Amino acid sequence: MTRPTINLRDLVVLIADPSPYLSMIAHSILRGFGTSKVLEVRNAMGVVQTLSGQKIDILLVDARLPPQGGLSLTRAIRRKVDNENRMIPILIMSSDTRETTVKQARDAGANMVIAKPMSPASLYDRLAWIALTPRQFVDAPTYFGPDRRFKIEGFPGGVGRRKGDHLLDVAEEAGPALAQDDIDNLFSAARLGKD
Amino acid sequence: MAESGDREARVFSVETRFQKLARRPGGVPRDQAIEKAAAKIEEIKPGFDDWLIKELKTLADAIDSAKTENPPEDWIERANTQSRQVRDAGTTMGSELLTFIANSLCEVLDAIAAGAECNMESIACHLDALYLARQRRFRNLTPEQVPELTSGLRRLAEVVHTSPN
Repeated sequence: MTRPTINLRDLVVLIADPSPYLSMIAHSILRGFGTSKVLEVRNAMGVVQTLSGQKIDILLVDARLPPQGGLSLTRAIRRKVDNENRMIPILIMSSDTRETTVKQARDAGANMVIAKPMSPASLYDRLAWIALTPRQFVDAPTYFGPDRRFKIEGFPGGVGRRKGDHLLDVAEEAGPALAQDDIDNLFSAARLGKD
Repeated sequence: MAESGDREARVFSVETRFQKLARRPGGVPRDQAIEKAAAKIEEIKPGFDDWLIKELKTLADAIDSAKTENPPEDWIERANTQSRQVRDAGTTMGSELLTFIANSLCEVLDAIAAGAECNMESIACHLDALYLARQRRFRNLTPEQVPELTSGLRRLAEVVHTSPN
């Protein structure tokens, strides 16, 4: 089976990770993919300043980004109504991949979660998924972000049931870390009807 | 924008610049891109050992500070931060064993932070294991290749998990 190809040339990627070394690893991987411009910041203030200063095409943010964490930052970016970067793709990098954490990232408005330690293949595939999988945005009183309605869960709490939603069994909240495939499943849109 | 018929939530289509540009023809095929990225990682690998030595030294300092008469309040968080960094870099830099041990130490530290008994012996064993895994002859081993070490660490972690303070 031929895997999809993405073109990352001319894209500007912002990596927000408190660790310079881990940031450098992600930077190197992206350079290997052919990304022309990769910027790095160490905290949420750095993200806000960079986003207000220049055009960023995708944000890779660590779940533990100081001071409040990457999920809180994602929520803030999505909720700010007059923010021109409100719909920027956000990929959360996290070593905590328990189901509750992955769901929290999704509910914060993240496009995808990637498990740390990252491999080039896992990062490429997540970027390809964000680039090539059409996903609508939802603007609701309690949520703004990529559509969270997923096959394995039916409609999410907090948004309200909509046309076409079906009740399905929801997995237990507590549990061990998820494998990357399971994380992907949580982010796999049902509305495409392809899976 | 395509509105849905929903009263509470507005649903609309978005095509970001990232999506537009990433879909252009002329990209590097997946296998080649991954190969090139792996080559980039190889370029930074020579510096990994120096980085690891510093991380382990900082980790050891944080653990040592817990043994003093008045341990600093943030020693667990400092130790956890160092341990997490080793965990998150290990496998990517070719050492699955380092990631396994550091992950086990993170679990121990998380349990202590959550109220389990502070078992310094368990922490010291994990630190020793990290120093062992740093050595070249252990660096590229998988956890499955050192079952005595991994099962021993698992037992230590379980003891901490089940020990209320």
